[in-house]
Amino acid sequence: MNQLDIKRFAIKFGGESGQGINSLGEILAKALKNTGYKIFGYREYPSLIRGGYASYQIDIGNEAINSSSQFCDILVCSSRRSIYQYLRDLRSNSILIHTLTAVIFKPEDQEFIKSQNIQVKYIDALTLAKQQGGNALMSNMILLGALAEIIGLDLTSVEHIVNEQFADKPKLLEIDLKCLKVGHDLNIADYNLNLQKFDGWQDSKIITGNHAIALGAISAGARAYYSYPMTPASSILSYLAETSHESGMLVKQAEDEITAAQMTVGSMHMGTRAFTGTSGGGFDLMTETISLAGIIETPLVLVLAQRPGPATGLPTWTSAGDLNLAIHAGHGEYPRIVISASDFETAYSLIQNAFDLAEKFQTPVILLTEKQIAEGLYNVKDLPQDIEINRYLLNENELTTKSTLKRYQFTENGISPRWLPGSDLPQYNANGDEHDEVGDVNEESLNAKLIAEKRMKKTELIKMSLPDPVLYGENEADITFIGWGSVKPVINDVRDILKQNNSEIKINYLHYDYLFPLKSELLLNVLKNSKRLVLVENNYLGQLGQLITSETGFQFSEKLLKYDGRPFFIEDILNFINSSRNE
Amino acid sequence: MSSLCKTYFENENVSLKDYYSDNIYTWCTNCGNYGIAAATKRALVAENIEPKDTFMCFDIGCNGNGSDKIGGYRLHGLHGRVIPVATGAALANRNLSVIASGGDGATLSEGIGHLVHAIRSNYNITFLMHNNCNYALTKGQASASTRQDVPMDSSPDGTPSDTLNFMNFVLSLGASFAARTFSGNVQQMTEVIRAGIRHRGFSVIEILQNCPTYNKDTTHEWYQDRIYDTIEIKDYDNSNFDSALNISKDMSERIATGVLFANPNSVPFDQRLENRQNYSTELVDEVKSYNQISQELFSRFI
Ligand SMILES: Cc1ncc(C[n+]2csc(CCOP(=O)(O)OP(=O)(O)O)c2C)c(N)n1
Repeated sequence: MNQLDIKRFAIKFGGESGQGINSLGEILAKALKNTGYKIFGYREYPSLIRGGYASYQIDIGNEAINSSSQFCDILVCSSRRSIYQYLRDLRSNSILIHTLTAVIFKPEDQEFIKSQNIQVKYIDALTLAKQQGGNALMSNMILLGALAEIIGLDLTSVEHIVNEQFADKPKLLEIDLKCLKVGHDLNIADYNLNLQKFDGWQDSKIITGNHAIALGAISAGARAYYSYPMTPASSILSYLAETSHESGMLVKQAEDEITAAQMTVGSMHMGTRAFTGTSGGGFDLMTETISLAGIIETPLVLVLAQRPGPATGLPTWTSAGDLNLAIHAGHGEYPRIVISASDFETAYSLIQNAFDLAEKFQTPVILLTEKQIAEGLYNVKDLPQDIEINRYLLNENELTTKSTLKRYQFTENGISPRWLPGSDLPQYNANGDEHDEVGDVNEESLNAKLIAEKRMKKTELIKMSLPDPVLYGENEADITFIGWGSVKPVINDVRDILKQNNSEIKINYLHYDYLFPLKSELLLNVLKNSKRLVLVENNYLGQLGQLITSETGFQFSEKLLKYDGRPFFIEDILNFINSSRNE
Repeated sequence: MSSLCKTYFENENVSLKDYYSDNIYTWCTNCGNYGIAAATKRALVAENIEPKDTFMCFDIGCNGNGSDKIGGYRLHGLHGRVIPVATGAALANRNLSVIASGGDGATLSEGIGHLVHAIRSNYNITFLMHNNCNYALTKGQASASTRQDVPMDSSPDGTPSDTLNFMNFVLSLGASFAARTFSGNVQQMTEVIRAGIRHRGFSVIEILQNCPTYNKDTTHEWYQDRIYDTIEIKDYDNSNFDSALNISKDMSERIATGVLFANPNSVPFDQRLENRQNYSTELVDEVKSYNQISQELFSRFI
């Protein structure tokens, strides 16, 4: 498959945390986007404030892309460690630019550089920046200027972004712009960026999955967010706080995740829309509260932004290892809904759907994301269409007899009438102890059985009303992949590559946004009709596979699993297809 | 006095029977909870608050077993978590009077972090701390407020850890309202709870509660012999923090009750939120599409 022509290009900035890698990446990403390129951004960074190694990679595609490649065409390094760390991520005929004197490559690295025909270019960026009156951070501008020249990016587009970002520091701005020019005039290499530019793409935005969740929630009328900082959920908290004057949202950093979850239940119970967000460890602390929401039938919306565990695990890396946690969180038996974002659009829409489902079925909804989605930098033109706001509350005007109302009434489908505290209707007890139809404590066997059945009945109803998984690609394929979360954009980008190349291998992909309760009809159809099935998950166990097995009995014989904290790169999928073809 | 008494039972919009429940109490004979329940109802009636405008949150414990023996909207949540669930509710709809009840076991162990931060945040709720100096519902283990030398279920030799003076602790954290009352004095309890409801901020009310079954140490009579009301102190000024802190210390000889401290300049949490200064609506009334705002925020990205 090496002969595949992959019309993508990747630039990676590498350095230490604290060296300004992010703003470097951001400026270039925006300049590229403003020029009409379609991009996707991906950041790696360690869980520390200074040191280690960090990177910012920008992939550029010939059509919209939402995934990263493992290999890059230009690597720009401003720390020694990052050179050694990322050298092997360079493609053949690529360029390595660095700012370090006397870099010594090991013999095998020298061999690699030679065999891959990699040009290594040293820029004394610090000296050059100092000559312009700048400091260490400004050597980034030298690099940026040089890079723009290499890929033939109009310098004015970079200057434009730099102008915007540093407008409030006119003195520094002047030096920044000088540095850019100096870097540009170095003229150190050339690379033909043979990719298409798109009209009308210039006004698109570069924005993360967490922004999508925040904006989706604001638009859906969420009026409170309670949370405790934890990567990769934290930027939901900081962005909602930053925009709280515009939105009027009550944004509270709680003393811990238990508090955040409890305050969310309290606010939702009264009838506003509130939510909370965290990662695995914080979610563990929320589980007793999820169980409470289950029994008192209060809608609850939680965002579980996944990173690799156990314990603190790999705090700043990605994973889809908490599906089992979401499905099994909390003691006792109660209905719940687990859904998962896979990209910007679904992050925006699914948080809105989470509110709708939670209120419709009066039960907890867990929205899963991954660091790859939460902090992935998507290139988007518009916000998706909003989901209509329905509250599913009792319509007081239609009531004839108020006095016989029962908040936990045993109904055919398990959903009881809900009205809010403050209404001039019978006051009820939202009782975390087992209770009868009005909410009073009841330990009788018959009542215990009936109310458990009433609650659990909702599961069937939920299952029926959830959308099916989506099959991407033709019905007929040589390989059918099945997955969830950030696997989707990677496989869909790979499908595009295969299509562009008129590849004789056909793949399709069955994707689950709505994971639990699991819909299996379409799945069974796909299972029956596919030549070869491969489960793809960003975890060790193949947790969706386990869920499918427990629901249908079907066992996956082929699994492509990744659990090293990195997302799937397009090469992971391409290599899999390639190696299976060679078998 | 008689007209005052009357408003305990019958007020303009509400009377005691509106808070009545058919359910039979499950507390021990002579449990302090009877008096607390009576005083809570009287205070609500005296404040002319209808059951539909009341939201009472209950912790897990003997106190929580009263959740279905009283009228009003209620939530019976989890052990130690009554404060955050009640504050979440209070922030969402400030038109309801939110009263949270929890035991000393719950409050001083699992819930102690919530207590500390609720005091800092000054959420506008009334918190009734049922201090019976033990974990009653789990049958008499020591809590942080149990006196050290008293043998308890899981500490037959007495507890090796020091005893925590609740009121003193709460005051040391800078509570905007701190009161102590006694489950045997329904009249005082009622007035203290009323003051707590009226106070704008986090009102902490410690109720010295007798527990006839598991607390043989500080009994009803024991308290009766030791408590006094701050009104007995000449010129007691309950806006003076230092004197409150001072009189809160003694928990063995002469025990001060009443509103020990009330900050007249208390600003509750909801009024501290800069971004909500121009809102006269409640969060519960504000659920609608804010698509324009999202679009505007989106347009700011580059
Ligand atoms: C998470 C959790 N841990 C433990 C318990 C068991 N439990 C129920 S009530 C209680 C203690 C109650 O003591 P206190 O809060 O003082 O209330 P009281 O019964 O004395 O009114 C405990 C430990 C529980 N329900 N939940």
